Amino acid sequence: MSTLALNPSRSLISADVLKLRRRRGLVAVTALLTIGAMTITYGIIELLHVASPANHGPAGGIVNLGHGAWVAAVFGAVAAAIVGSMAGSGDLEAGVYRDLVVTGRSRLALYRSRLRGGLVFLLPFVAAGYTIAGLASVIFAGSNPVPSASLLVTTGLWALLQVTFYYLLAFGIACLLGSRSYTIGTLLAFRLALTPILASISTLGIVRELLPGVALQGLTPAALGNAAQQGPTIPMSTAAIAAVLIIWAVAAVAAGAWRDTRRDA
Amino acid sequence: MCLPAPRAYRQGMTTQLHEVLLDRDDMVVETRGLTKRFGGRTAVDSVELRVPRGVAFGYLGPNGAGKTTLIRMLLGLTSASAGEMRLLGLPLPEGRAQALARVGAIVEDPRFHGHLTGRENLEIVAAVRGGDAYRRIEGSLERVGLTARARDRVKTYSLGMRQRLGIARCLLADPQLLILDEPMNGLDPAGILEFRGFVRDFVEEGRTIVLSSHLLDEVEKTCDHVAIVDCGRVVIQGSIAELRESGDPTVLVETRDPVATAGLLSTHPAVARVTADGPAVQAVVADLAAVPELNRLLVSAGQDVLRLEPARASLEDRFLEITTRLENAA
Repeated sequence: MSTLALNPSRSLISADVLKLRRRRGLVAVTALLTIGAMTITYGIIELLHVASPANHGPAGGIVNLGHGAWVAAVFGAVAAAIVGSMAGSGDLEAGVYRDLVVTGRSRLALYRSRLRGGLVFLLPFVAAGYTIAGLASVIFAGSNPVPSASLLVTTGLWALLQVTFYYLLAFGIACLLGSRSYTIGTLLAFRLALTPILASISTLGIVRELLPGVALQGLTPAALGNAAQQGPTIPMSTAAIAAVLIIWAVAAVAAGAWRDTRRDA
Repeated sequence: MCLPAPRAYRQGMTTQLHEVLLDRDDMVVETRGLTKRFGGRTAVDSVELRVPRGVAFGYLGPNGAGKTTLIRMLLGLTSASAGEMRLLGLPLPEGRAQALARVGAIVEDPRFHGHLTGRENLEIVAAVRGGDAYRRIEGSLERVGLTARARDRVKTYSLGMRQRLGIARCLLADPQLLILDEPMNGLDPAGILEFRGFVRDFVEEGRTIVLSSHLLDEVEKTCDHVAIVDCGRVVIQGSIAELRESGDPTVLVETRDPVATAGLLSTHPAVARVTADGPAVQAVVADLAAVPELNRLLVSAGQDVLRLEPARASLEDRFLEITTRLENAA
């Protein structure tokens, strides 16, 4: 018997996970951007080290954990944009949203379920990718300093936070716009192009602290040094960072929910 | 073109044909003054609709008449601009969740996740519906004849199969009411026949079917009751039999010379209108009591009367009659 029949409270989320995991292309791209990207990164560094130990250091150690964290954050954000937009607008684009609404189930319940379902689908990929980074940074450390358990955990949580944050943005925007392609385009332009440009314009001063990319940068584990650096670091208090991230995430999710519960289905 | 229906006429016909026979407590759908406006355009205009329980009810009108908009309001897919609605006796939108739990619906064409199998698509809806819906999946698939294809992706299904899967999706709710929006669109004759069979079977099980369509012939063959809608307004509603009988009495006359017969009949004061219908002539008369007199008129004029009988008006005849009257009244 399918898991959808077992537990009524989980069945709705399982249904939303089913919609995502049965999309072969989505599974392949998500795996490539998380597990694949990490495997390729550490594979190349280790191959270079084996081929020329004098010119290339070992693939492991704290510095390369930082590189792995960078890969997890940047590629993970792309995966988050793709999965979040699919979870947010997949039913609408397939034309089945109205068929779910006419069951009488509340639109907000459907919204919450899609939100959670996307995370349940996405985060295991990110965790698996980061696990590769963590293992490689220890196994292939060689002469490099080995990252501590606490650093491994902290860095992993930081990577998960980055991905979750961009997932929430993508999900909310997708529900707001009702379009996957517009959402992915908008978010990637914002994340990969606009944020680094605005963050590097020093004349903008404190305004740059409102950029989520800058706030997330401020949470990078200090022990990683510049290895996980995604742009200029702007000093911010932890409270300010938390406020910026919460406001962005809540605004996106609330806007999506507002649109979803009011749209003509 | 939209016809400016005289309000008195519209309301008079509706009341005369409908309210006498039907108990208000037995209505599965009831609307009062239901209106939907899109900007300056009124798509649904003060609709007073009453659908009795346990019948196949046709909501008949041309494309753009507001049929789908009314269905979307009933199902909570769009809000009403004004008016009241009751579904299965429950007021909307307050009782929407409770009412829709026992309603199955196909709005416009049936849509599914093409990358999922038929069964998986039903699993998703069963998860959303909760309760016993999951246990009804196999029975629903079997009922619509899709068990063998249930594990194929829906993107490989034909339109007819998607329609059947749409019906199976409705059955997950064990619905008291099925609302089907233009369900015959795009189906081949075999598919239409099969669909008609589904509808009649559901009615026999005590379910109510509301079926919107622009195909008069299909509604007449499938439904027991009908509401005719034009430009967002219900111009008449009642049982098909009532509608047929409510028109002016018509007799069908067949002689060896239909042209001469038509000419003779048109001179008689009891005959309102004469139309040639192949070898026969249809005469609309003020009163059927005048028919023997018409017979005598023809015989005395040397016509051999081969056939003289009351004509059975079709829904199409009534529809054309009503719209002609409205046009004349405008």
